Amino acid sequence: MPLQAQSRSQSSLRRVNRSRSQAKGSWRSTLQVGVLAAWVGLMAFGSLVIWSASLTIADASFSRHLLGIALGIICATAVWRSDLRNLANISTALLVADIVCIFLPFVPGLSHNAQGMTGWIRFPLIGLTFQPVEIAKLLTVFFMASLGAQYNGRIDTVRDYMKLCGMLAIPFVCIIIQGDLGSSLVVFFAGAVIIMMSGARKEWVLSTIALIIGLVSLILATDSVIDGLFGDSASLIKQYQMNRLLVFIDPSADTSSDGYNLLQSLIAVGSGGFFGKGIGNATQSGSGFLPEAHTDFVFALLSETFGFAGAMLVLILFATLMLSTIHVAVKSDNLFLRLVCVGIVGMWMFQIFENIGMCIGLMPITGIPLPFISFGSSSMIAQCTAVGIVQSIWRCRAKAA
Amino acid sequence: MDAQIIVLVAGLVLLLVIIASLIFLRGYSGKYTYDTANGTRPRASEGEGNTLGVTFKGRFRFLMAGVGAMFAALTAKLWSMQMVSSDYYDTLSQQNQTRTVRTSAPRGRILDRNGNALVTNRPSLAVTAYRDLAEDTVLVRHLSNVLGIPYVAALRNIQDNTEGAQARHTIATDVRRSTVAYIQEHAADFTGVVVDERTERQYPYGSLAAHVLGYTGTVTQEQLDAQKEAGSGDASQITYSSGDVVGQAGVEYEYESLLQGIKGEQIVTVDASGNVTGQSSSVEARAGSDIKLTIDVKIQQACEDGLKHAIDVAKQSGYENAGAGACVCLDCTNGEILGLASLPTFDPSVFVGGVSTEVWNELNSEESGTPMLDRAINGQYMSASTIKVLSALAGLEYGIYSSSRTTVCTGFWTGNGEADGKKCWLESGHGTMNLQSGIANSCDPVFYDIGRDFFYYDKAPEGLQEMFRRWGLGSRTGVDLPSEAEGRVPDAKWKEEYFSDWPADQRTWNPGDMTNIVIGQGDILVTPLQMACVYAGIAMNGVEYTPHVFHSAVSREGEGDAYLYNESGKKVRLEAKINSEDDLALVKRGIHDVIYSTDRSLASHFNNLPVEVAGKSGTGQKNNEDDYAWFCAYAPADDPKYVVAAVLEQGGGGSATASRAIRDVLGVIYDAPDTSSDSGNSAVR
Repeated sequence: MPLQAQSRSQSSLRRVNRSRSQAKGSWRSTLQVGVLAAWVGLMAFGSLVIWSASLTIADASFSRHLLGIALGIICATAVWRSDLRNLANISTALLVADIVCIFLPFVPGLSHNAQGMTGWIRFPLIGLTFQPVEIAKLLTVFFMASLGAQYNGRIDTVRDYMKLCGMLAIPFVCIIIQGDLGSSLVVFFAGAVIIMMSGARKEWVLSTIALIIGLVSLILATDSVIDGLFGDSASLIKQYQMNRLLVFIDPSADTSSDGYNLLQSLIAVGSGGFFGKGIGNATQSGSGFLPEAHTDFVFALLSETFGFAGAMLVLILFATLMLSTIHVAVKSDNLFLRLVCVGIVGMWMFQIFENIGMCIGLMPITGIPLPFISFGSSSMIAQCTAVGIVQSIWRCRAKAA
Repeated sequence: MDAQIIVLVAGLVLLLVIIASLIFLRGYSGKYTYDTANGTRPRASEGEGNTLGVTFKGRFRFLMAGVGAMFAALTAKLWSMQMVSSDYYDTLSQQNQTRTVRTSAPRGRILDRNGNALVTNRPSLAVTAYRDLAEDTVLVRHLSNVLGIPYVAALRNIQDNTEGAQARHTIATDVRRSTVAYIQEHAADFTGVVVDERTERQYPYGSLAAHVLGYTGTVTQEQLDAQKEAGSGDASQITYSSGDVVGQAGVEYEYESLLQGIKGEQIVTVDASGNVTGQSSSVEARAGSDIKLTIDVKIQQACEDGLKHAIDVAKQSGYENAGAGACVCLDCTNGEILGLASLPTFDPSVFVGGVSTEVWNELNSEESGTPMLDRAINGQYMSASTIKVLSALAGLEYGIYSSSRTTVCTGFWTGNGEADGKKCWLESGHGTMNLQSGIANSCDPVFYDIGRDFFYYDKAPEGLQEMFRRWGLGSRTGVDLPSEAEGRVPDAKWKEEYFSDWPADQRTWNPGDMTNIVIGQGDILVTPLQMACVYAGIAMNGVEYTPHVFHSAVSREGEGDAYLYNESGKKVRLEAKINSEDDLALVKRGIHDVIYSTDRSLASHFNNLPVEVAGKSGTGQKNNEDDYAWFCAYAPADDPKYVVAAVLEQGGGGSATASRAIRDVLGVIYDAPDTSSDSGNSAVR
């Protein structure tokens, strides 16, 4: 009898396994469906948005957007096919690559000025421009994950914790020096998530946050003193950055420049209503009232065109992407890759929250693109690469089986 | 209603989604703890991995909570913006895309009674800016170079106060097209500088009738405030906005509602940089109505020239201070004012495009003789002997001085006792005078008797003042021009109140006051227009028509008159009760004699007119000043049509100087220039 029962349970298990493997197919073990679906969905919707923007905004070239997507898919596929586990052991090389990447725009012959920002390079022969800081974000994630993975899930001493924080400060400060406050915050947030997931104690994290808040207020205080004594040129924080902060608190205080942008963005989002104004009818973002409607403020354009429904669709796709990525992290048995996954989630969290938040007045204005949707190949390629990394991690998990 | 339901449903859906995701997360967390679906992982590594898995479980839960909180915050904010306040933002987005552009309507013209244009319009380009532009000295310097005006002048115009702090200030008017084109091409260099296309007032006759026409100016802050207070209940009422040009004096002010057109309104769609991309609706501007005045350019000119002539005569006679005065000519059969002159005058074109403080102050200063004051309706003078016609009527009506009573004039009248004796203007005395010859010779003792007897006349001690008021003195004539003075007829009550800080015995009414006002001296005050009305009443046997300058509003289409002043018949100001026809006839004979029987020189000037004239001179005596010359007359004496009244401040004797103005006006009316070369100084006062 027990034998019969055992064989029955064995056969049922076999049947279940067979049906499962049939249902999933071999590709399902190498590609995470949730991440894939959300990624494709976001790029498709993003393309639609950029296409609608290209109808009225001359700068939004739809073909260039498609080129970015194509390059992104190539990069993602290349990364997906490779095994990233070995990167865990070359943290020093990662740091060097990271810093080189950050300061690439300062190399003579490569640097390219766009809109007063110096964060661009132009490849000498093909004439393409690129923002290397987008790649630096991913490199930093790998760098921090490789460091965090050394502690095997628990950081025992404050010394180790401080060491991790200090290591994060290197790329963070480098990007600030390079002049891109928004990207440095992305890197900082992604790194902080990795440190927390590496097993830092709650008390340390909380005290660090308290310390940072204290430090920031101290900087703001000294800054105003320096401003008063030596004028804005010697200032730690540029006047336009200060304005953005002030405008965030009261959008109607200053209708020029930053206050104007924020107000126009709020109007664009708010006037969208439930179903939006429809493609080509976005009067706010389409006819130039909202500047940068296809890049930094693309979410406002999207919300005006497709309304609350469209905005919710994007949010759901992002949520699916991030939760699926967390699922990948959970499923991965390699601590380094787990932390890489978590870092990428952190990166997306900050970028999405900051970008959408600034469009709807929740966050101050910074120049961070919305992943997969904003016009711009650098961001598209880097974000697609991030998806490739996540899929590679999923594939490696499958291999480990 | 619908919006509320949508919001409610959406809120419920949101709540369900949050609950569902919480349940999902719970199930999800269980799923990876008991991971059998992918349970192909080697169990061996679980020894240490188990604890790692447990600690990571909490961290992942924390991370997911973070992601969830982030999306919840974004969703909540989006929901409140796109679902709850969508209408608010929609309105803002509509406002963003449309601008209201107002097109100004040309102001109506002002014509004389024969259709000659006294005020017309011409297009003009003006450069304006708000006051804070003055802070940008580099820009102002650049602008003054471009406009070709001195820097200081440009700065002064920008900072000028007369146009109000909120309005744009005019820097230059009549700017050349090429200059405007330059400014518009280099708009970036001239931020804050605005070019206005305006229609400016033009005065083909220069300063002619300046006091009647008035002038226009930018609407003042007080006027805007008053308009706001009055509210805009009436839809047809014109609403003004800052920078509008409105009438500020004279006919321009009085008939503002007719002259002012209705502004056109265009609602245009604009792009982000403010360029007009389309037009959504428009209302055509409607020009203001043309107005026809009763003024006759010829007679108006005669009034002004006659006044100047009279002043010249006065100056030649040694009255150096002469220079100011007024002259009114009206049609006594209907009250139409044919000419109304006041000297010194001003050029209304200085107000075009805004007047500078400097010029404005000069126009209102005592040194320049307050040219802005319209002396014909707002100048108050003692009436002098011209009032004797009314004094005589009062004396006759109350039986105080019958037509047969006589007074012996010795040149010094002692009716109030020796101590209070008063001189006649003719110190050698007129001899025996009755009322008619008293009027004709303007013999003061005759009227002193009337004044004194009224004072002691118990039945009607103020019968004299009653008679003055009956003929319209002491009250406004109702002329359709702003800021008319009402004059003053003093009586016991007035004196008591007016000199309230004097001791009681000094402010009581006394016989001296009566003998003063009976000959038009003392505290009595009249305007030239009031006196003209009195003489019109005499001429018309008691009927005074309301004097007016408005004839009709010209209809927009065709030639006809849309609205007439006398549409519902002639407007009668008052009808003075005449006690007996004989009284009036006596007075009329008296003022006829003034011109033809008492003074050879005066008669010689009027003898060459084709019609006979009746009139009365007056000479007001004022402390520390030369005499004020008066003359009031009507013609023809037998069938009166025209009344002319003139006053010359410090112009000497009325019959010698003021009479010249009267003669010149009548000369133009009857086309009979004064050919008399008799410059003999007429003595009658």
